[in-house]
Amino acid sequence: MMSLRRHTTVTAHVAIAGLIMGNTVLMAQETAPQDWLNRMASAVQSTNYQGTVIRLQDGRVEALKVAHSVSDGVVREKVIIQEGNGLEIIRHGNEVQCILPDKQSVLVEEWDDQSTLFSTLPSSDVRFGSEYDVSVVREERVAGRKAVLLAIRPHDGYRYGHRIWLDTETGFPLQTKLIGDDGEAIEQIKFADITLDEEIHASALASSINTDNFRWFTQPRRSIVAAVDSRWSNDNLPSGFRLVSNTEEELPGRDVPVTHILFSDGLANVSVFIEPADRIDIARRSRVGSSHSYSIETGGFQVTAVGEVPAATVEQIATSMQYK
Amino acid sequence: MNDAIKMQISAFVDGELPQNEAELLLRRLCQDRNLRQQAAEYLAMGRVMRGERTIAGMSMLRERISAVLDDKSLQVEFEAVESDRPRYLRPIAGVAIAATVAVAALLGLQQLSTVPDVDPLSAGDSVAATIDGGYTVPGQNDDQLRDYFLRHSAASAYFGVNSINARLVTLQLREDVLVDTESATQPLDEGGDMPDSTDAADAQTP
Repeated sequence: MMSLRRHTTVTAHVAIAGLIMGNTVLMAQETAPQDWLNRMASAVQSTNYQGTVIRLQDGRVEALKVAHSVSDGVVREKVIIQEGNGLEIIRHGNEVQCILPDKQSVLVEEWDDQSTLFSTLPSSDVRFGSEYDVSVVREERVAGRKAVLLAIRPHDGYRYGHRIWLDTETGFPLQTKLIGDDGEAIEQIKFADITLDEEIHASALASSINTDNFRWFTQPRRSIVAAVDSRWSNDNLPSGFRLVSNTEEELPGRDVPVTHILFSDGLANVSVFIEPADRIDIARRSRVGSSHSYSIETGGFQVTAVGEVPAATVEQIATSMQYK
Repeated sequence: MNDAIKMQISAFVDGELPQNEAELLLRRLCQDRNLRQQAAEYLAMGRVMRGERTIAGMSMLRERISAVLDDKSLQVEFEAVESDRPRYLRPIAGVAIAATVAVAALLGLQQLSTVPDVDPLSAGDSVAATIDGGYTVPGQNDDQLRDYFLRHSAASAYFGVNSINARLVTLQLREDVLVDTESATQPLDEGGDMPDSTDAADAQTP
């Protein structure tokens, strides 16, 4: 903290530099929002980075150390949760090791998706439809780097707004903020410090914990997915949401596959899970972070909508599902 | 939050902000929720950058500021503390107390504004914490609901910015799975059987 004040004298220099960089600022703000999103999509897929991520949610502040590299299309990633039990997550391709030092255990599992910790926004403006306005707001500094702030504002209360700070040099997202319909930040994630596009040493991607004497566990692959033509439909979706996928999945402990229908407005996604109601006993409403779920029994089926959307959205989608 | 405010907060936390400026800053923080949140974030980052996991005595400070906010205004408390001190100690003691209260306000009010100062995801082993007047957080025994959140995160990872946050939600939920896994190892250690749930992990040595 003291160091900041010691640098007071450089303020004038910074101001002068700011004037010099004025043209750059203008250029950043003149670039179309969709172009920034395209740059981000590319940056997230190809950028090596490491740094400290701060996450604020529900009044809690969490810090994670993150290192990420992509080489020949293979993602390697390490995430260390800085507080609590010091959980480490090591990813090499699709194999993920979750190391819990205080439990002396390692859980090995395969993630069946290709996403990384920091995945990407859709790059195509088509996918936004008319449900959001996207604009370049201004230039700020995040993690000591120049960033351009993009605002994604929804037209109604069925989805959250977003603010994204993109590194002006690389397009990499340095900070994201989820905004509720009251204008308050629901959740935000930002890099406190970051290095971009430098070679990540192998040691930075390896576990920092000696796991020689740990117990190792292999988690079975969690689901088998098959695309189906479901007999379920919904003609009262919130504006802009449409069917994206319709699958049957085997989930642990179920005798029959679970129907999983995914709706999206291009940015916000809602899953609907449907299975026989006889063995289901779950809360009608639940919340994890900014995600909500709403569950209702209808016609002998339990219909549960889950998504990172306001509570009203999952409730409307769940209650308007119909069996043809 | 501009650099001037950051410097003021830094000085405040270090106990080196002049008293009149400290009072002004404190007043601003009490009146401006956004500024409080930004200041809390700024302090949290500094804490992380310095490699500190916790601030000693933070919970006690939090309790103190909570009591202060419930019972009387911060300004009244500030003046009362100052008037109890010998005159020659007033400036330093006053600022020190102000800093204590402010730090607690910065870091503590975030907690106070929500539910309990516990981690809801590890708070219990059932459909645990009730929040927002009727919403629950999946606990360790809520396998079905947890599976839904996990599958949704995996599926939606192909779409949209939500995957950033959804992935972190997934990590939290997987931490719960790890806890489950650990408990599942106990019977093995004692020569027993692993649970036959398909959700249970298969133990093996590396």
